[in-house]
Amino acid sequence: MQYYWFGDVDEGRCTVAGGDYTALAERLSSIVTSMETFIPLSVEQACECGFAADAPDYYGHLRKLCINIAEEKIADLYGQGDMELLQMVRMLDDMDNVINLLTERATEWYLIKNPGFSRKYKSMNAKKMLSVIKRERSSSLGRLAGEIDRMVSSRTTLMKEISGRADVILPNCSALVGGLVAARLMSRAGGLEQFSRMPGSTIQVLGAENALFTHIRSGSPSPKHGIIFQHRRVHNAPRPVRGKVSRAVAGKLSIAARLDYFRGELMPEFIEKAQKRIDDVGLTE
Amino acid sequence: MIMINGVLVSAGKGGVYGEKMLKGHRVWDPYRSKLAALVMLGVDIDLNDQMKVLYLGAANGTTVSHVADYVDSVYAVEFAPRPMQDLIEVARRRKNVIPIMADANQPGIYAPMMEAVDLLYQDVAQSNQVEIALKNLPFLKSGGTLILMLKTRSVDVRKTPEEVFKSSVEELESAGLSVDSVTWLDRYQRDHAAIVCTYGAGGVGGSSKKSAT
Repeated sequence: MQYYWFGDVDEGRCTVAGGDYTALAERLSSIVTSMETFIPLSVEQACECGFAADAPDYYGHLRKLCINIAEEKIADLYGQGDMELLQMVRMLDDMDNVINLLTERATEWYLIKNPGFSRKYKSMNAKKMLSVIKRERSSSLGRLAGEIDRMVSSRTTLMKEISGRADVILPNCSALVGGLVAARLMSRAGGLEQFSRMPGSTIQVLGAENALFTHIRSGSPSPKHGIIFQHRRVHNAPRPVRGKVSRAVAGKLSIAARLDYFRGELMPEFIEKAQKRIDDVGLTE
Repeated sequence: MIMINGVLVSAGKGGVYGEKMLKGHRVWDPYRSKLAALVMLGVDIDLNDQMKVLYLGAANGTTVSHVADYVDSVYAVEFAPRPMQDLIEVARRRKNVIPIMADANQPGIYAPMMEAVDLLYQDVAQSNQVEIALKNLPFLKSGGTLILMLKTRSVDVRKTPEEVFKSSVEELESAGLSVDSVTWLDRYQRDHAAIVCTYGAGGVGGSSKKSAT
């Protein structure tokens, strides 16, 4: 007996499967085929059985069914929300790069226009510099600085949106290290499912790939932290225990990622224990 | 294969991905498509309007659209959702493309939709590329052709492309395939080898017209 998408065939006799495309898709997903005993189907037979009028009709149905199934799978995958969060994080990183690049360029331009100006002794960071340049009214430089400033504020809005969304999609990870860091880790992993499959040791060095591979190749010291460093408990930890804290955070994150993927809801008891464990590691010398 | 003034083309409605047109035909760019590169390097590939093709690693459907211009029908398998969006659009406009969203590692999933094919074409970036090809052999007619675009960098970056290639050919031959030709696509794609094999020609009851020399 061979089970095909259009029906079952047993020694030349066939039973046609009925129903609409939804029913056919369901039937297809329930068929288990072993490749050892599999015999390719015959389009002629499918037509003789009365499933389709002729070959073009047969292919038309098959194509429609496959398109439906694929569209549904894609919608399912994207509907989880992690894929959109991933794009938002990458957009944020790209915006940071672009803003820095443009601010630097605008500063150079400003220095040429104002030969007497210097940033020295003015504790002038990029943000202040931008507001100085903006005062160059009635010139294209001033106008462009205004545009950069607007981009800075949309960047801030996007960052808040990412945090908010991470709280929903990664509730446990966000509770441990904050929405932004959680979202960055998930994005580097390539999605929530991939993230949930990672061991703590990988999560610990996500974002430090260069240092890690240099370590593997040439035996330089191994990286203690990657993206995880952005979390305050890691970068505020005293140097002697920083690696230890980073390892504890990563370990708890790997559990949290699994909770987020498989349960999708906040687990307060787990968070409480995990927070305590991480804080304890930070205290021991 | 249709050539106009030394340029490989296919006959079909244009505008799929912004390809150039030449005398009403779609230009098939060897720098964008490994199959086109293989043909431009002088390997005789037979694509005709009687053929059924199973295409593993269909990606955005760029090469698929050209293959579909030549053959009867193409079963295009792709796993990743992002390229699948494009492939579906190609299938909507080309009635002989069947887009299958599945993992080529698990042929049992799409087997209930498969008829026997004349050509198995594979272009996937997986470390077990040869294993995937062998898993999909039950779909290939005896005497049919397997074209394997071996991405040596995906198999093992630590080994040289030649080492990877050598062990891959051995694996293919021990599975009853006879290797007809091997072409490095260096002029167009780095570290890619195109391996053309005939299935069943070794004695499992297929034709032996293309046996290796």
